[in-house]
Amino acid sequence: MIQIDGVAKRFGSNTVLNGIDLRIAPGEVVSILGASGSGKSTLIRCLNGLEQLDAGSISVDGHRIDEPKGLQAARRSCGTVFQLFNLYPHMTALQNVTLAPIEVLKVPRPQAEQEARALLASVGLGARADAYPAQLSGGQRQRVGICRALAMKPRYLLLDEVTSALDPEMTAEVLDILAKLAATGTTMLFVTHEIEFARQISSRIVFLEQGRLLADMPTAQFFAQDGALAQPRIAQFLSKMSK
Amino acid sequence: MTSLTPYLGEFAAGARLTALACALALVGSLALGVVVALMRTSTMPLARRVADIYVDIFRNVPFIVQLFFLFYGLPEIGPELSPFNTGVLALALAGGAFTSDVIRSGILALEPGVLEAAQVSGLSRITIYRRIVLPIALRTSIRPLGSVFVNLILTSSILSAITINELTGVAKIVASDTFQPFEVYGLLLVAYFAMTTLVSLGAGVLHRRLNRHLHGGAA
Amino acid sequence: MRYSGFTYNDLLVLLQGLGVSVALFAATTVIGLALGLAWATLRYYRTPVLAPLAAALAELLKNSPVLVQLFLVFFGLPVLLGTDLTPVEAALITLSGNTAAFVYVIAVSAIESVGRDQIETARVFGLTRWQTLRRVVAPQAAAFGFGPLTGLLINQLQVTSLISVIGVTDLTKVGAILNVRTLEPFIVWAVIGVLYYLMARLIARVCARAELRLRAHSQWKGF
Repeated sequence: MIQIDGVAKRFGSNTVLNGIDLRIAPGEVVSILGASGSGKSTLIRCLNGLEQLDAGSISVDGHRIDEPKGLQAARRSCGTVFQLFNLYPHMTALQNVTLAPIEVLKVPRPQAEQEARALLASVGLGARADAYPAQLSGGQRQRVGICRALAMKPRYLLLDEVTSALDPEMTAEVLDILAKLAATGTTMLFVTHEIEFARQISSRIVFLEQGRLLADMPTAQFFAQDGALAQPRIAQFLSKMSK
Repeated sequence: MTSLTPYLGEFAAGARLTALACALALVGSLALGVVVALMRTSTMPLARRVADIYVDIFRNVPFIVQLFFLFYGLPEIGPELSPFNTGVLALALAGGAFTSDVIRSGILALEPGVLEAAQVSGLSRITIYRRIVLPIALRTSIRPLGSVFVNLILTSSILSAITINELTGVAKIVASDTFQPFEVYGLLLVAYFAMTTLVSLGAGVLHRRLNRHLHGGAA
Repeated sequence: MRYSGFTYNDLLVLLQGLGVSVALFAATTVIGLALGLAWATLRYYRTPVLAPLAAALAELLKNSPVLVQLFLVFFGLPVLLGTDLTPVEAALITLSGNTAAFVYVIAVSAIESVGRDQIETARVFGLTRWQTLRRVVAPQAAAFGFGPLTGLLINQLQVTSLISVIGVTDLTKVGAILNVRTLEPFIVWAVIGVLYYLMARLIARVCARAELRLRAHSQWKGF
């Protein structure tokens, strides 16, 4: 269980997160929607310890991330996929995927490589395992990013606008893979602009506006006429996004 | 010009000494430069301060003064180093300051996102430095490091001032022996030029080789 | 030679040496700047034979040890030309040339940093090459070149220490004299080092201030 309690985050005089309470249980697929600047990415960055909290607490499976040992444990349970891929440029796709398992989980190299190749093959990159990021397209790089996160066998997968930097064709490739992942029961937390995608695969939708939770409910309910759509702000947002 | 040929052997010996001194100093500079660069980019204010002071001093004091300080001053407080070792030490200390500049730039140029990806996968700080930060920083620093090496070679000529018979030291002897200073020093100039050009070219080749995967066409 | 402690006379000698270093640095900087800029202008005009020759010479001076250049001029030129050269004259010639070579490279690089379109626009408006250089290219190039120039000046200050090897009684030579006489290398060379250090910082500060002035003049002040 990921537990987010009363979390607040300020950047200078700008309050980006203003008292967020959220629970994510294993097996859930949760999408966080909201306008740019609503605090969505910041929330994920607080979750994996890339940003310090100004108030509140976050714990992952009981480990509080404001303690060094807790943060370490939390990071082991969470895999992150980034909007800009953030692959290690001097390493091949294979090496990108095997680095953490070998160094952190102490998996022996041959086994790590075998598992990595299997992962890469499952996303269609079996033949490109020895290519360098510079030689891959955006969609391929993101797929490597997904494999890199999965290689650590995380309990929770954090995905921060992972298709925002891709063109429509590559976006479709990646969303496809993510849909398959969701179907396997992996716990996933998406920050995304892809409303349709969120509607199709999420079990739950969370809507963030100016650092506050405006809605937090099962998907069907969210998109129902008397659900979240009843809130004018949300309706406005959704209509803008689907133009 | 042909009257210089009997001295070829001595010139070769001098060149070897220059090469040896510079090679040793380069290794020293690199090691020192990495350590100092890490100190300068560390989160500990004390480490940063000490490193900044070191770089400040060695960049703003002439090399010959540093050399004399070590050559005449060190024996006072203990270690009796040979002129050659003193020279290499001086070169390494000075070179380390400039090298740390280069490597520090390389570290700061690292994309923050790549660092974040490494952090959230649970890699320890040491591993991140060893497998991600330094390999990338060094790769991008090859050309400027080549410049530092060129600088080392040129600065090594000053070692002749403490009785080391490297290339310039040998040339001084030959010039006064043959009464042909113009030819000797002219040739010496060209010889250094040739050496530094070779190093620059070598750095370019090494840079391309090590960085060939970092820039490429997308599939 | 009697080994003695430090005397007040030493302070005077020290100041004298400092004066010589500063004077030579100032002189060679001025001459070097003028020469180097003229050199770069040659290149800007793309004079057929002179420009590439100038470029080659600059490369040679940049990539060879200053000490060897000093020896070449001090020991070699007199033999070649038949005239005698005092250490100061040799130092002046060598360091001016060396500075000029580096100024040339900085200037050329700064000029290249000014966009091609700036130059083309000026020409289209009918400005001559000289007017373009003076009004359009030079001010912008000066802004680009300031940083490297500051670094160069500090470097050339340290290079002046080498003239002690050919016998000029500059700050470093005074250090050598005091070192031999007092046998207190630590103190002597530390003091010399500190003096050079302070001079370098002074230059850095002066250049920073000058750069602010330069930028202030070229700031867009609005209507």
